[in-house]
Amino acid sequence: MSLELLWSPFVEFAFMRRALVGGVALAVSAGPLGVFLVLRRLSLMGDAIAHGILPGAAVGFWLFGLSLPALTLGGLVAGLGMAGIAAWVTRRTGLREDASLAAIYPISLASGVLLLGLAGNKLDLLHLLFGSVLAVDPPTLNGMLLVSVGSLLLLALIYRWLLMDSLDPLFLAGVSRFGPLAYGLFLTLVVLNLVVGFQAIGALMVVGLMMLPAAAARFWSRHLPRMLLLAALTGAVCVWLGLLLSYYANLPSGPCIVLLAGLAYVCSVLLGPLNGLLRRPPHLSPAH
Amino acid sequence: MIHCHNLHWGPGGRALTPPLNLHLAPASLTGVIGANGCGKSSLLKVIAGIQQPLRGAIELTVPRLGGVAYLVQQQALDRQFPIKLHDLVSAGLWRSPLNRQQRQRRLEQALADWGLLDLQQHSLHALSGGELQRALLARLSLTDAQVLLLDEPEAALDEHGLVLLWQHIQRWHTQGRTQIVVSHSISNMSQHLDNAVLVSRSGCIFAPIRELMGQRSSLEQVA
Repeated sequence: MSLELLWSPFVEFAFMRRALVGGVALAVSAGPLGVFLVLRRLSLMGDAIAHGILPGAAVGFWLFGLSLPALTLGGLVAGLGMAGIAAWVTRRTGLREDASLAAIYPISLASGVLLLGLAGNKLDLLHLLFGSVLAVDPPTLNGMLLVSVGSLLLLALIYRWLLMDSLDPLFLAGVSRFGPLAYGLFLTLVVLNLVVGFQAIGALMVVGLMMLPAAAARFWSRHLPRMLLLAALTGAVCVWLGLLLSYYANLPSGPCIVLLAGLAYVCSVLLGPLNGLLRRPPHLSPAH
Repeated sequence: MIHCHNLHWGPGGRALTPPLNLHLAPASLTGVIGANGCGKSSLLKVIAGIQQPLRGAIELTVPRLGGVAYLVQQQALDRQFPIKLHDLVSAGLWRSPLNRQQRQRRLEQALADWGLLDLQQHSLHALSGGELQRALLARLSLTDAQVLLLDEPEAALDEHGLVLLWQHIQRWHTQGRTQIVVSHSISNMSQHLDNAVLVSRSGCIFAPIRELMGQRSSLEQVA
């Protein structure tokens, strides 16, 4: 097998190139966001938001047809709305956050599917849920690049506040008013990343690209910057190899990318130096 | 410094005690004692502005932001969180106007004071409960807050840690900071501080701590 196979599809086809550049950009910003979701014990938030995007995108499609700004805006409003409703229910009723999120997303998914049905079935549901590389046209690619670069810049700006707000919000509230704002900006970034990802990788698959590298990173390092870098790199490599797999085996791209990320996760669970299943901690090995 | 007017407080929307009227002078050092679940920690949170009072008002003569430091109970922290002790403690200098060198010097001084110099590069999961508690206290000691609210500061500390804690509380006292200490160990508190608030369902009592321990005849009811 020639090494050329690793890049020839991207040299040959512009749509593969766009999918690669857009996907890698998205992975690089989504992975670090996923790490912070894991740290905040909000791993289910990504799922809830991704499902929440659907009814918004469906309404956008219904009103304005297949236009990227309409789909994005609809998804953004609905995704943030769903996250907001879940948080509001938790705060007002004391229902646990995970239960609140888990209750929101089947509602979103079902209403999204029904709305798409009402819209006349012109939007391919499977593409919306599981993505298609062909969907990454130049405007979508620009959107993905913009969101990725913007996310990384903003994340770097709010990093200090977001870190302390995740670890010890009470302390942060005593020294700075910026904690809740940093958290709100962070959630907006999560929604934006999921929204721009849903066309290329699929609304449901993009959550995998956000959470799997993040969960895997935890088995390799206890140093936050290293975890962020590792999640970004893992995601990027999975996009690249996943696109190749989908190209050569003629499979849908979203599931290929996410399954490779899943493979990275399983390997980390087994082999990761921090609590990996096959790595016995030294103090447990029998003494001589 | 701290004035509570007709204060009702309590988690979950129900007041735990009759309304509290309490006036604490600047540089005072006050204990809060009472049975489990009587609302001691909630009272500190209400004063810190973390919880809203149910009724009544609290006046502080310092701004809440930067003026009040609250020692969280360490169970509130996720021990898996990827942060090193050094970074946790240095957050105490968040609002500090000092320059880089001065910050570094103060940080090292605080780490040395609390016996943490060798643990700087440890991440949270590798610390014992007492070490984490000393780190939280070191972080608190780096703030310039004039009001210190200590919720069970003795938690998990060994004897050496306890000595350090009470030394620092005395030092903060002479610096003129206003302190409120919640603790279960009345005997420890009675050695180190003068007045305490006894929180209970029948009413809150502010009195010299020795009297709260012993006879209850001359108690001044503040509820």
